[in-house]
Amino acid sequence: MKSFFFLRSIFLFHLIIVAPLAPTLSLAKSTNLIKKTCKKTPYPDLCISSLRSHAKGSGVTIHDLAGIILNLTLANATNTLSHIEALINQAEDPQLERLLDYCAELYIPVVKYTLPQAIVAFNKAQYGFAEYGVSDAGDQADTCEKEFSQSKVSSPLGDRNKLVSELCDVAVAIIKMVSKVKHNLR
Amino acid sequence: MTPAKNDHRGSDPLTSKATSFSEDAGRLPTGVSQGVSAKSYPSVRDRLSYNWTNAMFSWQRTAYHFQPEKNWMNDPDGPLYYMGWYHLFYQYNPDSAVWGNITWGHAVSRDLIHWFYLPLAMVPDRWFDAGGVWTGSATLLPDGRIVMLYTGDTEESIQIQNLAYPANLSDPLLLEWVKYPDNPVIVPPAGIDPEEFRDPTTAWIGPNGTWRLLIGTKVNDTGMALIYETTNFTTYEAAPGVLHAVNGTGMWECVDFYPVSTNSSEGLETSVVGPGVKHVLKASLDDLKMDYYAIGTYDPVSDTWTPDDPEADVGIGLLVDYGRYYASKTFFDQNTGRRILWGWINETDTDYDDLAKGWASVQTIPRVVTFDNKTGSNILEWPVEEVEKLRLNRTKFDDVLVEAGSVVALNISSAMQLDISVEFEIEGSDALEALEESEAIIECATAQNRSTLGPFGLLVLADESLSELTPIYFHIAKSTNGSLTTLFCADETRSTKASEVFKKVYGGPVPVLDDEKFTMRLLVDHSIIESFAQGGRTVITSRVYPTEAIYGAAKLFLFNNATGVNVTASLEIWQMNSAFIHPFPLDEM
Repeated sequence: MKSFFFLRSIFLFHLIIVAPLAPTLSLAKSTNLIKKTCKKTPYPDLCISSLRSHAKGSGVTIHDLAGIILNLTLANATNTLSHIEALINQAEDPQLERLLDYCAELYIPVVKYTLPQAIVAFNKAQYGFAEYGVSDAGDQADTCEKEFSQSKVSSPLGDRNKLVSELCDVAVAIIKMVSKVKHNLR
Repeated sequence: MTPAKNDHRGSDPLTSKATSFSEDAGRLPTGVSQGVSAKSYPSVRDRLSYNWTNAMFSWQRTAYHFQPEKNWMNDPDGPLYYMGWYHLFYQYNPDSAVWGNITWGHAVSRDLIHWFYLPLAMVPDRWFDAGGVWTGSATLLPDGRIVMLYTGDTEESIQIQNLAYPANLSDPLLLEWVKYPDNPVIVPPAGIDPEEFRDPTTAWIGPNGTWRLLIGTKVNDTGMALIYETTNFTTYEAAPGVLHAVNGTGMWECVDFYPVSTNSSEGLETSVVGPGVKHVLKASLDDLKMDYYAIGTYDPVSDTWTPDDPEADVGIGLLVDYGRYYASKTFFDQNTGRRILWGWINETDTDYDDLAKGWASVQTIPRVVTFDNKTGSNILEWPVEEVEKLRLNRTKFDDVLVEAGSVVALNISSAMQLDISVEFEIEGSDALEALEESEAIIECATAQNRSTLGPFGLLVLADESLSELTPIYFHIAKSTNGSLTTLFCADETRSTKASEVFKKVYGGPVPVLDDEKFTMRLLVDHSIIESFAQGGRTVITSRVYPTEAIYGAAKLFLFNNATGVNVTASLEIWQMNSAFIHPFPLDEM
């Protein structure tokens, strides 16, 4: 991850020298904003790689970055739920199936209500509610994984739960930053 | 819920009210109900109240049961699940720790365990509920609307039924509520006492597409459920007959009526009828302050319900909970497909104590209700599995021998916030046959009464010297006709040294099938204990206020007071975390 970032930054540096000024300035600006923002989150690398591929164009703000991470979190949670449901259909071991059912029950309200409500709240500048909802969603992913580790059944969802959980932590951190900015502007 | 006229302690032999109260029609003097210190009433001060310390009082607060931060609560109202949140409303006095000035408190949770307090949902600010916003139920319509029907008490003490609904269905917290401007929608009909007409149920759809709901009442001493039909929830027609009535049971408060599946453990939405479905009819009997239920068959065409066993009809058969428990209400949780039961747990100490400590009442941990298809004659109640999230470390004990007449200490770090599962086996399979003496009346007696086969069980919230203890136990008896009955009991008589606390033995029979061991699950949470026997066939909720067996001095023991047999016990005991119930951070939105 780190070496990739290094190569990318060298490449960008090239662009800055060679290409016309205005668009590369804004690209550098957004890159800097992403770097600055992500450094203050619990998972900077994940934050950067997520935002890099989605934050394009000029005039990107921290508010936009929060929105991107939130949508990404919802997308990953939705994806995880579909995966769980597919695994349930294939499951032959009743203990595995029981655990997968348990996780589905955790993810369904997250995908249907918790994250969508957090996104609506964020867009309405209700940052406390948004933070609480996202953090709660992350807890559900953790609970799913914990259930597997306590049962000694190998978790088929380890990577996905980890991703959702960490994205939630990143999202909460960025929402907090947005909330601070808004408060300072008042 | 009626006012203090039929006091929530009406069935107590201990007159916990001073003489100045009993002369009154039954309402507490306004001073007291406004929270004025009871010390200004000399007769109250004269009553022997224990010398409680702040440490003892604050120990009584529960860690993981729902209760408001302070003041009085009673009946749970309008429970529902909506847009990712479970909602609980409750009868609440914002001004005092005794009943009065009743509003609807409001709390939400994602998981039925971690609750957030919200602002009051409704206050008695209209003529149609100026005497109190009393108990009601929610109906979720297929088009997504929420309809709340509740009893309004007027200034003249007339009980009328009102409609309310959320101001904004896109607010997942349902903070604001609107009262239908043309309330009331139902008034007491001719021939019905206007002070005995309350607690509308959740509605269900009939075969002709109209909705029906029930309102409890009584005529002379016959308790009954009246049926009202509607298509729009604003205009209603009283049905010509009643759903069901039972002589001699008195006023039916908090009627509840819901289907259960006889061939699956899935909950059923309130309108479901058909093969494989039975209906539970439940009433809170005002005269006894106990919740009774019966299982039967509902005929949607004639709108009548018939109990499976008329000898165990509503009000004369099974109790929802054999302990300190009242005003229970179920709802269908469409999120997880469960039928969930709430129950109000009043205090058993005095109003004076409640005013001193600043709060009164607790709700049970919500329970899942299913039909017991092994016995076919009762429901099963079990704490929602979300409560298991609170489990911290576990201690296991395997095959502990508890000899006749002995007590065995269980070495656990702390004994006031626990989730206990225990299995008992009586040594010697022929022990049951050996039971000689029979008993004419089989009912729970104090755990100190020894007999051949019991009692045996747990001593909860006991101090080292057993000067205070709460035994929860099985007692097996043979009736005069030779059949065996197992009783499940909770003995509060020695739960506290405080003499003003109402202490009695609670419990009832529990079916134990041939191949079953004797099992108990207990949720211990400071001053409340919820005890479940045989997977929830018989449940007892206890309120206890030890003065010594608190904090580190509270211990847990096994005991066997049988004279003729040893028992072995296997247990799993979890320490339980707090649910950290606190206000929703609305100001941070």
